[in-house]
Amino acid sequence: MNLPAPDSDREARRHPVGPPGEAWVRETLEPEQLAKAPPRFGRASLSRGTVLLLWALRIYVVLMTCLVGLQIWRALHADG
Amino acid sequence: MPATPDSRSAPPSAPAGPPPLSAEDFKRAGDRRRVNANRAAPRRRPWMLLWLLIGPGILVMLGENDGPSMISYAQTGAIYGIGFFLPFIVLTFVMAFIVQEMTVRLGAVTKLGHAELIYTRYGRFWGFFSMADLVLGNLLTLVTEFIAIRAGLGFFGVAPEVAVLGAFLVVGAVVLTRRYWTWERITLGLAVFNLIFIPVAVMAHPAAPAVVHAFLTWRPLPGGVNAQFVLLLMADIGATVTPWMLFFQQSAVVDKGLTAEDIGHGRADTAIGAVVAAVAAIATVLAVTPLYSHHVAAGNFQGAEFAQSLRPYVGRVGATLFALGIFEAGLVAAITISSSSAYAFGEVLGHPHSLNSSLREGWPFYAALFAAAGVAAGLVLIPHAPLVFIVLIVNVIATLAMPPAIVFLLLLVNDREIMGEHVNTRLANVFGIGVTILLVLAGLAYGITTVLPQLLPT
Repeated sequence: MNLPAPDSDREARRHPVGPPGEAWVRETLEPEQLAKAPPRFGRASLSRGTVLLLWALRIYVVLMTCLVGLQIWRALHADG
Repeated sequence: MPATPDSRSAPPSAPAGPPPLSAEDFKRAGDRRRVNANRAAPRRRPWMLLWLLIGPGILVMLGENDGPSMISYAQTGAIYGIGFFLPFIVLTFVMAFIVQEMTVRLGAVTKLGHAELIYTRYGRFWGFFSMADLVLGNLLTLVTEFIAIRAGLGFFGVAPEVAVLGAFLVVGAVVLTRRYWTWERITLGLAVFNLIFIPVAVMAHPAAPAVVHAFLTWRPLPGGVNAQFVLLLMADIGATVTPWMLFFQQSAVVDKGLTAEDIGHGRADTAIGAVVAAVAAIATVLAVTPLYSHHVAAGNFQGAEFAQSLRPYVGRVGATLFALGIFEAGLVAAITISSSSAYAFGEVLGHPHSLNSSLREGWPFYAALFAAAGVAAGLVLIPHAPLVFIVLIVNVIATLAMPPAIVFLLLLVNDREIMGEHVNTRLANVFGIGVTILLVLAGLAYGITTVLPQLLPT
């Protein structure tokens, strides 16, 4: 488990960035910085108000994007 | 409403043993060793520490000074001259700093990228909800970067196919270093050329008293508030504050290996980036003011047309520098935005997502990056593709998509369970909510002028 994976070992030899072995890597990085660190945070739920806000903003983005399309259509029509 | 459950929703459990190491761990640890050695040295070298820790903030700010942004600034200068928009551009960079500083804290404390954190905390549904704008926005923006590259090199007579393919190869060459540090330093080196607009501004001989007057009074505003003013207002906001910046900087902070101890330097990095990018943006506005003075109609200009039109006023050297600046802006943004897409792809699908990954471990990450850049480059070369249409809408869409992205940002950065002592202060929340309200109001103003154009003078 503690041995470096073959791929990482090869990379470490190709691009030496520290002493041999892997102990120094674990000492240098915080445990949660490791690429394969397990998840630390559980799920949080969104309040009703937040969900409403997010949906309102989603509708806002969709409507406004339609208006962008409308304006571009008008501009292209005016040029044509 | 609770977030939709999915396979990644299991609460954290105690690990059975230390996780195996990967190639990116070795490289990141190598970078951190230098930081730690500098901190532990009897004679600390603050500048060296800053040099080691800067990167994501400067890159995100100069990356956002991209092709369409520089064209927006140039159109602003050509249409409005020296006046309202100079201090307004500074304000947009203040807004950018406010939101980007939060991503530094989020990345340094949680060690998770923005997409990954939304997924982890709120589930698959809200993860995809927040990603929708990013995917569309990044693709459109990447297309405009290759348009800028094509336009900038077109000034020198380079064929579009050669310009686009060459830029794609540069993006690939920088990424294939498979080392975040090398990628970051090369891209920073390229990004410095964003300052190329400063000598062009000097050659344009802007009136210094007019510049000072503009910053002090936010005036003049020729033509007053009209539909064109609102459109440029939106484009200039979208030139500075966009969703991809949130995703990119947080992922880059994690990839670089910044920790909570580095937050101060990350903040300085972001501030330096904001100041340098604001100077480059203002220089672009000033560089094209001769077009305003000589009543040159520049409303539909792209990068190369600006350079050609400026030639009589700033000379051949000035025009050449301007074209190079447009090319550089597109190239740096193509590198950063394609990386942003790849980071988000890897974070969402649970693949390795680091520029430190080996090709074998991180092939999906690199494939996503090349696919993003390749599709955008390909679209630019399609004959009769509506490129002008895309350039026109990209910054406006970025501005419109920003409020939902900031809401997720504020939710995360106020989450004491993940942020601990680095949770947002009341003042930071006031600023964050203020920026969101300002963006929504700007969008609504744009919507009203589109639906009811008769309300404002044309």
